[in-house]
Amino acid sequence: MQEIRTVTVIGVTGTMGANVAGIFASFGNCRVYCVGRDLEKVKRTLPRIVKSVRADAIAKNLSPADFASLEACVAESDLVFESAAEEMPLKQAIARRVAAALQPEAFSCTGTSGLSIHTLAECYPEEARRRFFGVHLFNPPYSMPLCELTATAWSDAQALEALKEYLEKRLYRTVVQVKDSPAFLANRIGFQFINEALQYAERYRDHGGIDYLDAILGSFTGRAMAPLVTSDFVGLDVHSAIVHNLYENTHDYARESFVLPSFVEKLIAEKKLGRKTGSGLYQRVTYESGLKRQLVYDINGGIYRDVIPYAFPFAEKMRRSIQEGNYRQAFACLVTNHSQEANICRRFLLNYIVYSLHAAGEVGYSLQAADDVMAAGFNWCPPLAMLQALRAVTDVSTLMRESLPEVCAQIDVDALLAETEPSRYDYRPYFRSGRHA
Amino acid sequence: MREVYILGGAQTDFERNWKKEGKNTVAILKEAMDDGLSSAGVTYEELTALNEQNRVACFVGNFIAEKYTEQGHLGALLTEVHPAFYGVPSARYEAACASGSAAIDAAQTKIKSGDYDVCIVVGWELMKTVDSRTGGDFLGRAALYEKEAKNIDFPFPKLFGRLADETLRKYAVLDEDRYMNALAAISTMNYANAKRNPLAQTRKWFMSLEQAQTRGTETNPLVGGRLAASDCSQVTDGAAVVVLCSEVYLKEKGIQAKPILRGYGHRVAPMLFEKKMAENADSPYILPWTRRAVLDAYGRAGLTVADIDVFEAHDCFTSSEYAALSAFGLADPGREYEAVESGLISFAGEKPVNPSGGLIGCGHPVGATGVRMLLDLYKQVTGNAGNYQVKDARHGMMLNIGGTATTNYAFVVSRA
Repeated sequence: MQEIRTVTVIGVTGTMGANVAGIFASFGNCRVYCVGRDLEKVKRTLPRIVKSVRADAIAKNLSPADFASLEACVAESDLVFESAAEEMPLKQAIARRVAAALQPEAFSCTGTSGLSIHTLAECYPEEARRRFFGVHLFNPPYSMPLCELTATAWSDAQALEALKEYLEKRLYRTVVQVKDSPAFLANRIGFQFINEALQYAERYRDHGGIDYLDAILGSFTGRAMAPLVTSDFVGLDVHSAIVHNLYENTHDYARESFVLPSFVEKLIAEKKLGRKTGSGLYQRVTYESGLKRQLVYDINGGIYRDVIPYAFPFAEKMRRSIQEGNYRQAFACLVTNHSQEANICRRFLLNYIVYSLHAAGEVGYSLQAADDVMAAGFNWCPPLAMLQALRAVTDVSTLMRESLPEVCAQIDVDALLAETEPSRYDYRPYFRSGRHA
Repeated sequence: MREVYILGGAQTDFERNWKKEGKNTVAILKEAMDDGLSSAGVTYEELTALNEQNRVACFVGNFIAEKYTEQGHLGALLTEVHPAFYGVPSARYEAACASGSAAIDAAQTKIKSGDYDVCIVVGWELMKTVDSRTGGDFLGRAALYEKEAKNIDFPFPKLFGRLADETLRKYAVLDEDRYMNALAAISTMNYANAKRNPLAQTRKWFMSLEQAQTRGTETNPLVGGRLAASDCSQVTDGAAVVVLCSEVYLKEKGIQAKPILRGYGHRVAPMLFEKKMAENADSPYILPWTRRAVLDAYGRAGLTVADIDVFEAHDCFTSSEYAALSAFGLADPGREYEAVESGLISFAGEKPVNPSGGLIGCGHPVGATGVRMLLDLYKQVTGNAGNYQVKDARHGMMLNIGGTATTNYAFVVSRA
């Protein structure tokens, strides 16, 4: 196995940078140079890194540094991991500095979640370029093991295999090799779903909008967190950057679903970016008494109001069934109920399957890749497992033709489904009742 | 005496939190039963047919669902899992953390007696329904509650911390650092083994020897005397199913080569920890009844420790796995550290202990643990343990204890 003893993580004061440093310092037992702009801020970040892997014993592996000593850190490192802000010129400038100091046998990686790996590779001289890769981790990596690994046309095949083995066997990552494609695979699938849910929130704003959609696509549909709560958690600015990138640079049937609704543009302009700023799609208010209140942005009124406790009959029935472990009964209800809400829910879940398989064909190297990225990166029921769940109660291709006619007009879903293999994942843990058992 | 065979079985993913999933006791039993019966090749239709002839029964191991989930009458609860259980004889067996083994013991007895041909054993516990302090108090009922647990926070870590103290006291030559390092190594091995087990609770967690040795920090607080969090097993939601059957059934179905439940030992030590320790004065073993249970199992199986290829030990705490090593015969009493230091019990060693990760790594849903151990031995001797397969395992031994090694159950499983 590849020996990686010393690592430099650049941009360590950011959430991902700190968490990545923790993974290398713990599972990798590496000495980690933690590089940030402000040395004092880096020092204040170290306890957070220790906490991220719940192990005081790794503290001795962390060495704080600032950009003045970047070259010195890089020169000593077997692997350099850049986790700077998602701006191409900034990342290019860092890459050039790294390239100048890098040891010949060292790996260089970028943690970018969407910028071109090819463009960044061009910052490296020919030799170093062969050992430069995209290594995209998910937040928080301690509980989300996904790692999207991207090679370039210049990549050395042996180096790629060695890095892959290291990430899998030493850092315990679920490594999925993906192509150098906008936002890679997990975010492409996940944000297609989430952004379309935002578009539907706008379309159904008279029904409540944001909380209406989250109530239709809640935890009983195979995810721990409702999609728009997820967007709020990720941050609307980050969400916007991802879907903007996908809209500009992808050209498939789902392209229009990457258009950000105007009400979200407005929230971003008002710096209402989600949980990190206190308000976004949702708003959490804590009163002096300690009482907490969850509010939601009302698209029509432009104000925050109480979340509506929706109780759609189809959803209630599914949740009751899931609570008792009657999954088939739950899915049977989903495919036979014809309320507006069930129709929307069915449409989203079916398109999730179609788009995942479609995107995996384009960005991944196997259809199973779609399962791996959604389970290990989003904690959503993987698409092939979802397909299996629905196949137990209905003919899925017929259901797709009924529920997704516009998609079926553009995509040969029968051909797509014919290529699928059984999922390696158990769908049951992903479907939650959202009720107190 | 009739032979008892193991047809198959399954466990739930011990990483799951069923409260967070919003699922109840019936849901976890359904999943475990569906998977267990499917592994054993028994359908619900066949179950109904067997029951028509009164040839099948169920044995439920659970410690204390009355506290964790407000549910009792757990044998009868299976009728909520599937109508095929209507009319099937079924009862719950309780022996604290050895409840699963008590259920296995009852099941094997009914096959040996010829009363039933198929015995379904299910062990389960849902423990994440309450906070850790409350759960710790519930578990105190496995000790003599009034004297050893009432009004005490986390009584069990404290009791097994005392076992560590007593071990050091009994074996005067045992160096304290050497002992504590052996305990840290036991913890580290269990966590490392769990990484190979796709159903282990801690498979994503980080642990290193250094972290396990660094006791009394924010991330590894002391929880019972000299024992820290890294020395403890986990609070786990989980269920495990094992299906036992008679030779008649195997022949009828034309099934060949199923593992044999070859021997058992069952001994009960004085309940009060103090009395237990007072009683061991004349024995070289700190837990003499635990040793006796293991010897009984070897004796009934006609095997010795030299024959056993894989062990599942009851590491509710590192101090209990330490004591188990001499009980198994893998080390002389007082010199258990040798089996740790030499690598004998590591996954790559000659006598791997807890390739599953054990209670520390795989998790410890108390009523399920004995059944989970038997299932793991079944997987090992049939070559179905995947990444944690011990090469060419022919014979396996498990030790499941309840309370402070009060109830002691040992089983030997052999390849057909």
